[in-house]
Amino acid sequence: MSTAIAVGVLVAAGTYLILQRGLVRIAFGFILLGHAVNLVLVASGGLQRRGAPFIGQRPTDEMADPLPQAFVLTAIVITFGITVYLLALARASVGSTEEQADEPSTGPATAPPADDAPPAAPGGNPGRDDRPPRGGAA
Amino acid sequence: MSSALVPALLALPLAIPLLAGAVLVLLPARLRWTSRVLAMVATGMVLAVGVVLVATTRDGGAVGQRVGDWPAGIAIMLAADQFSALLVTVTAVLVLGGLLFAFATGDDARRMFTPLVLVLSAGVYGAYLTGDLFNLFVFIEVMLVPSYVLVVLSGARRRLSAGGVYLTVSLLTSTMFLAGLGLIYGLAGTVNLGELAGAASRSDALAVATGVLLVAMGIKAAVVPVHTWLPRVYREVTPAVVVLFSGLLTKVGVYVIFRLYAVMYDGDPRWRWLLLTVALVTLLVGAATSLGDRSIRGVLLYSMVSHIGFMLVGVGLFTEAGLTAGVFYLLQYVLVKAALLMCAGAVQTTYGTDRLDRLGGLVSREPLLATTFMVGALSLIGIPPLAGFVGKLALARGAFGDGQWWTGGLVVAGSLLTLLAMVHVWNQAFWGHDGELTWAEVEEGGTVSVTKIRRTLLAPAVGLASGGLVLGVAAQPVLALAGVAAGNLLDPAGYVTAVMPR
Amino acid sequence: MVALAAAVGREEGDAHDDRPVGVRAEPMILFGVLVGMGGLAAVVPVITRWLGRDTGYVLAAGFLALIGVLTPAVATVPDQDVIEAELPWLPIFGVTATVRLDGLSAVFVLLVLGVGALIMAYCPRYLSVGRHTRTYVLLTLFAAAMLGLVLAADLVLLFVFWELTTIASFFLIGGSGAHSARAATRALVITFGGGLALLAAVVLIIVETGTSYLPDILAQPELILDSPMIWPVGLLLVLAAFTKSAQLPFHAWLPGAMVAITPVSAYLHAATMVKAGIYLLMRFTPVYGGQVAWQAGLLIIGLATAIFGAALALRQHDLKALLAYSTVSQLGLLVAVTGVGTPHALTAAVAHTVAHALYKATLFMLVGIIDREAGSRDVRELSGLRRVMPVTAFLTALAALSMAGVPPMIGFVSKESLFQGLGEADVTSWAGPVAAGAGVAASILTFAYSVRIFRGAFAGPLMQRQLYEPHWQFLAPAAVPAVAGLVLGPGVAVLNPLTISAVLDMAPGVVVPPLVFWHGLSPELFLSAFTIAAGLLLFTVRGRMDRLLQAAPSTPEGMLFDRGFAGAHRLAGWLTRPGDARTPVSHLTGPVVGLVGLAVGALVAADRLPTPAPGTSRALDWPVLVLLVVATIGAALARRVLLALILLGLVGITVSAWFALAGAPDVALTLLLVEVLTAVAAVLAVRVMPDRFPAVPRRRSVVTAGLATVLGLVAAGGTLAFTGHRDRSRAGTYFLQFAEEETGGHNVVNTLLVGFRALDTLGETTVLGVAALGLVLLLRETARRDLPGDDPIVPGPPRQVSNRAVFQVTYRVLAPAMLTLSVYLFFRGHYAPGGGFIAALVAGIAVTFGWIAHGRVGGRVPIIRSLRAAPLVGGGLVLCLLVGLSASLRGEPFLTPTYTYLAGLPVSTSTLFDLGVYLVVLGLVVAVVDRLGGLGPAVAHRFTRPVEPANAGGAP
Repeated sequence: MSTAIAVGVLVAAGTYLILQRGLVRIAFGFILLGHAVNLVLVASGGLQRRGAPFIGQRPTDEMADPLPQAFVLTAIVITFGITVYLLALARASVGSTEEQADEPSTGPATAPPADDAPPAAPGGNPGRDDRPPRGGAA
Repeated sequence: MSSALVPALLALPLAIPLLAGAVLVLLPARLRWTSRVLAMVATGMVLAVGVVLVATTRDGGAVGQRVGDWPAGIAIMLAADQFSALLVTVTAVLVLGGLLFAFATGDDARRMFTPLVLVLSAGVYGAYLTGDLFNLFVFIEVMLVPSYVLVVLSGARRRLSAGGVYLTVSLLTSTMFLAGLGLIYGLAGTVNLGELAGAASRSDALAVATGVLLVAMGIKAAVVPVHTWLPRVYREVTPAVVVLFSGLLTKVGVYVIFRLYAVMYDGDPRWRWLLLTVALVTLLVGAATSLGDRSIRGVLLYSMVSHIGFMLVGVGLFTEAGLTAGVFYLLQYVLVKAALLMCAGAVQTTYGTDRLDRLGGLVSREPLLATTFMVGALSLIGIPPLAGFVGKLALARGAFGDGQWWTGGLVVAGSLLTLLAMVHVWNQAFWGHDGELTWAEVEEGGTVSVTKIRRTLLAPAVGLASGGLVLGVAAQPVLALAGVAAGNLLDPAGYVTAVMPR
Repeated sequence: MVALAAAVGREEGDAHDDRPVGVRAEPMILFGVLVGMGGLAAVVPVITRWLGRDTGYVLAAGFLALIGVLTPAVATVPDQDVIEAELPWLPIFGVTATVRLDGLSAVFVLLVLGVGALIMAYCPRYLSVGRHTRTYVLLTLFAAAMLGLVLAADLVLLFVFWELTTIASFFLIGGSGAHSARAATRALVITFGGGLALLAAVVLIIVETGTSYLPDILAQPELILDSPMIWPVGLLLVLAAFTKSAQLPFHAWLPGAMVAITPVSAYLHAATMVKAGIYLLMRFTPVYGGQVAWQAGLLIIGLATAIFGAALALRQHDLKALLAYSTVSQLGLLVAVTGVGTPHALTAAVAHTVAHALYKATLFMLVGIIDREAGSRDVRELSGLRRVMPVTAFLTALAALSMAGVPPMIGFVSKESLFQGLGEADVTSWAGPVAAGAGVAASILTFAYSVRIFRGAFAGPLMQRQLYEPHWQFLAPAAVPAVAGLVLGPGVAVLNPLTISAVLDMAPGVVVPPLVFWHGLSPELFLSAFTIAAGLLLFTVRGRMDRLLQAAPSTPEGMLFDRGFAGAHRLAGWLTRPGDARTPVSHLTGPVVGLVGLAVGALVAADRLPTPAPGTSRALDWPVLVLLVVATIGAALARRVLLALILLGLVGITVSAWFALAGAPDVALTLLLVEVLTAVAAVLAVRVMPDRFPAVPRRRSVVTAGLATVLGLVAAGGTLAFTGHRDRSRAGTYFLQFAEEETGGHNVVNTLLVGFRALDTLGETTVLGVAALGLVLLLRETARRDLPGDDPIVPGPPRQVSNRAVFQVTYRVLAPAMLTLSVYLFFRGHYAPGGGFIAALVAGIAVTFGWIAHGRVGGRVPIIRSLRAAPLVGGGLVLCLLVGLSASLRGEPFLTPTYTYLAGLPVSTSTLFDLGVYLVVLGLVVAVVDRLGGLGPAVAHRFTRPVEPANAGGAP
């Protein structure tokens, strides 16, 4: 029961946040959703048995199912990696106008005319024509 | 090839590219050619393994490996039946083409490009080969994270915001997938596909739990109405990246849907109507939308959505004919669409844009490009004698043969929309009068007016397109293999025993 | 491979075909002809290189040669012999590439090759000087496709060639000039749509009859007639035929197609391709011929088209347009008479097909000549050309007379047999007379516009005196069919063998009336006489007639089509909008809503509400839960970034505590450490951003909150329903029992990570590594952008930190200790909470601390100082993979653990694997601190060098 409530609250809060503008809030939302999912995973092992799975410390039938714990560990780590990257992305796109703008652009027709062409000649400096418009930053 | 040795090969498709990628990370950036060669060799080895797997599982059997040599039911299982083997093979082919194209566009001059592509492909192979749901999740992440990086690789602002969309949508799907996984484990106490065989058809609760997985994969596969992220993101990435993405990412979603519906649901007829509806809506909306876009790539991207629908019709029918059609459609589509995107990319790379209103008269200016694009487009529409036609014919036959008049009719009608879209592109960019893309204007931008598309830039597209031609004229062998794969899906017993050795 | 004697074998085996059979001609010759066509197309580019436009003559010769090759085969047709050859193609569908030459095919084959030869011979003088490779290739390919179409004995093969003709037509129309594209598109879309109908019909037939072999299907009509699909199939076939043969209401594309060059119009859009529809109808006459609905449909549409087309033809000023409408009209007559289906009618159909091809091709070529010579095709600009071009005039007269059905031309014979055929229509008692009447009406108009052509161009005063007779090479190709039309009138008997056998193919076993030039004083003769008289009358009142017709309301051709086309594009443009939305939320809402809908649906479907599993809650849970709830809600609603961050950290701690309660100490510890690092990363990321989140519009936040709540409830319900209702899983029990003896570790979870599920860990490690690399790349790019101008980042510690000296001292002391701890944790992981990941995080925290103290990775601690992200990640991954692959080399499954001896000590490969993990995780931490951490001085000085450094790892 307790788990269900916790999951419910976390999911609600997380969903609320990922539906906001701004990558940072979205990132926070996903952190909460990540917690929720991890709770579900551990709960899926059955919370009647809550003994830490260390051999020899207690009779095995009191021990919790170790498999979901392994899942959660993997999940936590992956979520961590991606969250950090998402934060970095938020950091990188600070001031980029799309960050705030919500109204859909009026279609591909009005896509930036400076349509990007990656470095044509191999060996040419890659970043060349990708340099963003100056002054876009806050 | 003694079947005793084959299982040992199963880990190579994911291990080799990963190792190669890791080594490339350590290599200094200036060793460009070394990394190119290494990447091609690694992928070539995967291709070889794929071919061996296809050959071994031609009899409809499947091979499995207990990773870590742990006992059955405990170890993570790698397994391949004809379906997986075919996908691994075609993926390897695509990666080879995509890498060549990237070398030509110069994308691989960007730091870490090649290793990222290798890791991405490793994730895809892993997803095709694993027999364990959680491990599937992990490999999907291994596939996704490099793609996150590739999206924003150039750091252009537009790409950053596209990256934001892509990252968040993918994160949502991953979270959903994981949640579904938790529910499944909570009910069944296992994530081994073999142990879960048929579970979702026996227990409604499990059907719902697995449904969460399918929804997540639906988003990944960009089915309507949750397809909007795909054009939004794929429009911004570099030409080489979009080629790789088109053949790798969405297809994993399709694969998982096929696999789970076959193994866990046993093709449960109760849900087919749902699958079919989604497939048909995707097919029609995607195709209709593709008329509206104003860049070559944009049109191709929406038609990508629509063709996901075509493939899903196959699993929606879930008959021998239908699945055969679906699998064959998937195989030929990967190659053809890549060829088309390469054409668009070649134009964009050389002329700085692929927007229809700024192009024109390419037929006379770039005959080879025009021919390649034409072959690809005709195949996409399903004009004989190209591969797409065989796929369409097979689908229609599967649908009508199953008494699904509406499905059959819409499948046939859908290709009319694809035709409209392709004709739109052809008229604007290839016919039209050269005036539209004012070469002068380009000239001042760079020294383009004398530039023509380089052969190296076109070669991969030509190769893949002619592949589509061969697949059409001599479809029989591949169709036969697709038939075997369909057999694997109809009766997963072989796959199940490979994943769950008794 | 090749079934040579297929004909014999098949025919004998086939009970339904009672024809005497003998294979005299070599069956494979049929494939030979097709291959030959392809070969011609292939060599065209070579020929044009040195012959230029004269290539046409070579091709014409080639076509004639192919006729010659086929002659022996064709010669056997009148004896009711059938020549057939097959190649395997798609056995999985039961589809073979089967070609077959019977009477009906023979007629069309001769038409395709004969007219083809003439057109090819016409091209050189018509085309401007130049190579025209594209045109020649496409024309030849089209001829090949058309041949295949009429030879195909397999429905799928027939469809293939059907589509190819469509495509060839598209490129031939569109290749010519800027405005041609739209006409080409119209033609393509309409005919391709019909093609799809044909495809559907073909598939339905295959499904219903189980075969795609045409002769079998035609020999057993009941297979289709008795199936429920009889009318769908019939309708689809008719649809396909009508679109291809430009019947109402699909005629719009044909006049438009006249933008193509004259040879194309003459060949594709008069003589051959548009007849494909007629051919299809004729082919399926054995099946549907007896059906009243079929007869009625074909009659009505056909006659309507005939009259409508003729009327429109009469009001044209452009001669080419006139001919186009006249083609529409004549095709209508063919459809109608095919629909009647009596022996007379079918004979008429065949005869008129031939006649029409002859005179219509001639007229097109001549109009082309006039156009080239006089520079116009408009009757209002042309006049009196007979004085300067007598030969052209004479030939035109011949062809026009034939079209008008005036004796002694072949047009006269075919017209009479048309009347006779139409008269036999027996849908109802009065159908015959009505049909014949309609036919006569159409013919009267035909007569009128035939006269109009001749008079328009050649009568009247001469205005362009400088003109002269074109070169004979230009005229010859037109002269041949014109004269043939004259000769074949009286000599029509020579056609009989072919027509008879063709009719027998459509109506097996009937008595076929031969074509005769003179019926005696038959009713048809009077109809013809009446037609001519009325036509002449119409001619005398042409002035009023013209005014009448011109006054008649008219919609520009294909306007409807174009409207629909534009509409489709507008709709599509609107559909693309969602895909252009910029912010993530616009793309996330769809999935969330979808998920909510699905979940709610599932819960509704479930008959009962989920119930909590007993014993899954403990007393201690509740206080933690309360804390969690408060912190979570706070974090969600906080407007200040920092507050949100703190609350988020609180959530993390409570969740970690919860894990501890749930018997997952490893998870708890890991989560705790991860929280710390996430917090650090978040702080570093947000410190350059506004310290408040943007405000949210009220309405929107309400909607969002609603969605969120529902999803939360669903999630809670799901957790209740799906978890805790079963005993410990088999696998879980196994691990608890055997983990120790299998791996020697006591910490089961750790044995899972580095042992049982090492593959997951490998993937997880890869993810971390790639994330680290991504961070490095991403922020290098931004770093480059953040150069002078955009917000400059003060290198060094975040603002929140103060009093550096203290930190630095503590760091000097703490760092070595933490490193030692990390090593200890690493090795004890096998027996208690710890392991590579946790150990690496501890070391990572040391790194972070060092950054806080010194504003750069490492500070004055040498080991930490030398850390770089990329080498750590790459090295770690390589280590993990080598461990995994070493097993494969030993011939054991991937990642099978074993012991190796390092410096004499036994080391489990699992430990090495764990070491790999350790390195990668450390790499990520370094990347986070070094990159997000305000890009220390080292990075800063790289900005001056835009060149890519070999090492992306950070400070050199």
